Formats: sequence, C-alpha cells, structure tokens
Amino acid sequence: MGLAELFLIAWQGILSNRLRSGLTVLGIVIGIASVITLMGIGEGAKLEAEKQVQALGVNLIYIRPGSSGTSGVSMGQGTAPTLTYEDVLAIKENCPAAEDVAAQYTSSFQIQVGEKNTSTTVVGTDPSFPDIRNFHTAQGRFFTVQEANDSARVCAIGDGVVEDLFSGGSAIGKKMLIRGELFTVVGVMEHKGANATGDQDDQVFIPIQTGYSTLFGLNLVSGRAVKSILVQAKAGEDLQAQFQITNLLRLRHNIQSPDGDDFTIRTQMDILQTAQSITGVFALLLGATASISLLVGGIGIMNIMLVSVTERTREIGIRKAIGAKFRDILMQFVFEAIILSLTGGILGILLGLGSAYWVGSLGQWKTVVTAPSVVLSFLVSLGIGLFFGIYPARKAALLDPIVALRSE
Amino acid sequence: MTSLIDLRSINRVYEMGGESLYALKNLTLSIDTGSYVAIMGTSGSGKSTLMNIVGCLDRPTSGSYSLDGVDILRCSDDQLAEVRNAKIGFVFQQFNLLASMTAIDNVMLPMVYAGVPKVERYGRAVQVLEQVGLGSRLNHRPNQLSGGQQQRVSIARALANKPSILLADEPTGALDSHTAEDTMHLFNELVSHGITIIVVTHDQDTADHARRIVRMRDGEILDDSDC
Repeated sequence: MGLAELFLIAWQGILSNRLRSGLTVLGIVIGIASVITLMGIGEGAKLEAEKQVQALGVNLIYIRPGSSGTSGVSMGQGTAPTLTYEDVLAIKENCPAAEDVAAQYTSSFQIQVGEKNTSTTVVGTDPSFPDIRNFHTAQGRFFTVQEANDSARVCAIGDGVVEDLFSGGSAIGKKMLIRGELFTVVGVMEHKGANATGDQDDQVFIPIQTGYSTLFGLNLVSGRAVKSILVQAKAGEDLQAQFQITNLLRLRHNIQSPDGDDFTIRTQMDILQTAQSITGVFALLLGATASISLLVGGIGIMNIMLVSVTERTREIGIRKAIGAKFRDILMQFVFEAIILSLTGGILGILLGLGSAYWVGSLGQWKTVVTAPSVVLSFLVSLGIGLFFGIYPARKAALLDPIVALRSE
Repeated sequence: MTSLIDLRSINRVYEMGGESLYALKNLTLSIDTGSYVAIMGTSGSGKSTLMNIVGCLDRPTSGSYSLDGVDILRCSDDQLAEVRNAKIGFVFQQFNLLASMTAIDNVMLPMVYAGVPKVERYGRAVQVLEQVGLGSRLNHRPNQLSGGQQQRVSIARALANKPSILLADEPTGALDSHTAEDTMHLFNELVSHGITIIVVTHDQDTADHARRIVRMRDGEILDDSDC
C-alpha cells in the first residue's frame, strides 16, 4: 500500500491522543530551540571576536615588554619596563618592513572640566596612532607631528569622555585638566565600543612626549619607558616585519638566546587565532549542552512510542488480522515518530529563531543563526524520529497477531 | 476437484516445560465453497486453534493446508497477511472495531491494506454497510452503536474485500438472544449469496443454523455431520 495512506494512518494515530502527542513534541521543540539559540549565541560571539580583532587595524603587530620564554621566572607580560621610546625610534629607523610605528604609554588619571571630574585612561602615543589602530577622529583632528615634537598640551578624547565631562556637547577647543595639568581638546574620537581590553571610548590621547614631561615622568634607569609598541607592517610583509623587529630588539637588549627575550611580539593573526579558538570552544560547549536536551527529547519520543505500541497491541492485532503486513505496521509507527519529531523540529526552529533574536537584543553581541544550523536542526529532528521510532515500530510490526488479538 | 479448504493430517503442538501438548492431533477436514459449517466443542477442545489455522493467523506444526489452491505452509508472514486480506473475513466475538474510527472507516480498512483506490473503497464500504442494514450509521463511532450494530459493522468489514470465507468466532457470544437471531439471519442470507461461512461456537442454537456441524474434543474431530 502507498506511503501516503500509511502517512494518513499515522496522522490519525497522532490525533487520537492529542495531549500525549503534544507533550512529546514539546520535548523536541525545547531541544531544537535550545540548539538553534545556543548555536546562534556561539556563532555571534565568534563573529564579534573576529570583528574586534579586525577593528584593531590592518597588518598590526603588537609588541609588549616581558618574557614569553619557557624557562625561569616570568614577571608576567607588561610588568617589566624593558621597552623604551628609543626602541620605537630604532624600529622606525631600521625595519624596512615596518610601515609605521606608534608607542603607547597608558596610565589612569583623574581628569576635570569645570565642576565635573572622572577617572580615565590616558594614552600617550604618536601621531601615527589613528592610522595604525584604524581609530580616527570624528570631530576636529588628532594631534600633529609638530605638536608632538613641541610637547604641546593638546589631547583627543573618546566620545565617552565627551558624554561624561561635556554632557555630550561640543568639546573642541575646550580646556580640561589631567591630574591638574591643563590640556586643550583638539579632537573627538569616533565611537568604537568596548573590546577585551576595556571601553575604548573612555580614553584620552596625548602626545607621548608631552606625557613624559608632565604626567608619566622619566625612569632614571630605563629612560622613557613605553607600555607597548604598535607596528603596522607593509602589506604582505608581516612575517618579515616580525623577524626584523625581533632581531633588532634582541640586538639592542643584548639577548643571546630566544629564551631570554624580554619582549613579546604578537601579530593580528595570533590574536585572531586565539580569539577563534576561545570562541570555538565556547560554541562547542553551548552546542553540546543543547544536544543533551535534544537527546532527552528523542528518548521521550521512544518512550512514548513504546507506551503507545503496548497500549495499542490489540489495534495492531486487528490490523494484522485484516491484512496489514510487516511493513504496513512498521511504517505506521515510524511515520508517527517522524511526524512528532519533525513537527517538534519545525516549531523548535521557529521558537529558536525567536529566542535567538531576543537574546541578541539583550546581550553584548548580536546572535547569528546560520542557515546550516537551521538545516542541521531539521535533519537532526528527522533523524531522531527515525532512530528512536524504529525500535518501537519494529516491536509493533513483529507482534504475533494471535497474541495481539488476545490482549486487552 | 479440490475443496476450498483442505486440511490434511494437521498437528499443532505446543512445547510446555519439555512436554508436547497437542492442540490439534492428526486432523483432516475439507470444506467446500458455499458451505455453512459450525465447529463446536468445549473450551480446550482445539476449536480456537483450528480457527486460527484455518484463518491463516497461525501455522500447523505439521500436515498440509491448501486454501483456495494456495499451499499455506509455504507462505511467508506477509503472504499470509495477503491471504487473510483477500480471502478471509473475520468476525470476532468482541467485534474488534477500531474505537477511534467511524463505522465506514473501519469497513474501509481492509481495502486500504489491499490498495483499493479511495473512491472505489468508499463506494464499496457504503454498499456493504447497507447490505448489513447500517446505511444510516456510516459516520458513527463504535461507542455510539449498540452491540448488534457493532457486530454488523464488523461483518461489513469482513465482507469488504469480497472474501471466499467468513470466519466467525463466537459471533453471538456478546449479543442478546434477539440480536443473535438477527445475526444468524444475516449469515443465512450471505450463504445464499454463495459465501462460505465457518462459525466457531459452543452455543447449540447458533450451531443449529449451520448445515454441517463438526464436533471436536481434545484436538480431534469427534463427529462430523450434515443437518
């Protein structure tokens, strides 16, 4: 007999016990919806991390003081004041693969405008910073080379600082105090949002030379210390740049063996890979959690199907007596399981899309439900119906008609 | 010419705790087309086992069984299902209708398994339901029908695929005497249309309507007489 007829028989079977069918479907709905939602969160996190790394700039190389060596005691990266502004100048001078270089010295200070004051991160850097970091001014301008050489008291501020101290009004040309030193605001940075290192909009940028002479002070031992160096490599020359910088710094710091490195170089690719491996594990963990609820839903289907077969033993006996074959009974119950799981799957996908959207509107990053995850969920729900439906269906189809007819 | 039903040297043995129990012992029985046979016996006499074997629900342990020229012992389970579907109509004591389906859906079910097209199926179901006097109860569910009406739906279902044999197991067992009488009249009418009816019963009144009575005891035929 035709599959369409068997499908119809299965459908009648489902309708004859609506409440139970509905509750069975619910298990799958929740399973599939959580898979869709959690995979959406994981995927969103991955894209967000990639976006943040891309936003750092192009062909960026990031140098920090401190050892990444495997021997001896490490002070932790960024703790030892081993990188100096002289290193920055040397890289600029001697590394042909480096397009541009900017030093960074960051420190937290109290800043004040009129009655209002707040604590923020002050970044001393070079005029090349906006291009290297791909972080530009939205209003006004960044400080110039001339201003940097003159140690001028000018600054560019993040839009969060404008919000806090200038109540969102125009800040260009206004004066502000940084730890009691007077600075003129020449530019407001574009909105960048928060990344792993903190709120990028809550920063004040000043020429690093100005910083040494006013705020940061000079270390008598190491001279003008920097906390990190940003290098933009020439296009396609990331590896050469990394190589040249490493050799130059070893030479300058008298380092014989690579184990003795007192600096760490990371390329944008390294950062991207780290971010991807972290978010990958995150996504996997979420997916695994959701899969468990899906598995429970599948077992629910098998459980209900087994109960159904036992309950309907007599019906199966009658059907067999009047001419149902093995395949007819098998397909009737397999179809029932598939209809239940597919209905659950489709409803679960819809619910999952809704809840992923909802979670995305609440959280730090947008959730991204990809087409493959939807297709995969659909196929998985189909597979669950087949896998967990076959055993009960086979049990039904193998029933002896005489025994089945005799059952109550 | 061979009979419609030809059972030869049938044994049906159950193994119980190492002992062989003969439900049917070397039984030989022929039934011709158009007969109306009652099989009688007390419980344990083997009449139900015989009915299961004649109805192709069960296979004999040994012997030979030819139904309408088909060697039943050589059939697979699915082939037996086909034989039941095409050649045999069952009428059970408990009616055995599917409770979730209407009368007409119950009657159409054997035709569904036979692969009869939908329109033809419906027409045929209406026709047999009218034949048993239930033309006005097509869309009632079993629980909306009286016992006698349910019995007639089950007879209509048994007739749906135009079987050669109507096999009735205690057809009057669950009915009051008046309704039982009606059912027996219906059987008489069907026999006059050429269908073969085998009734398994322990009730003498029911058996009296048949034209041949086979009495059984301990898995053997005690007496086989026309009346």
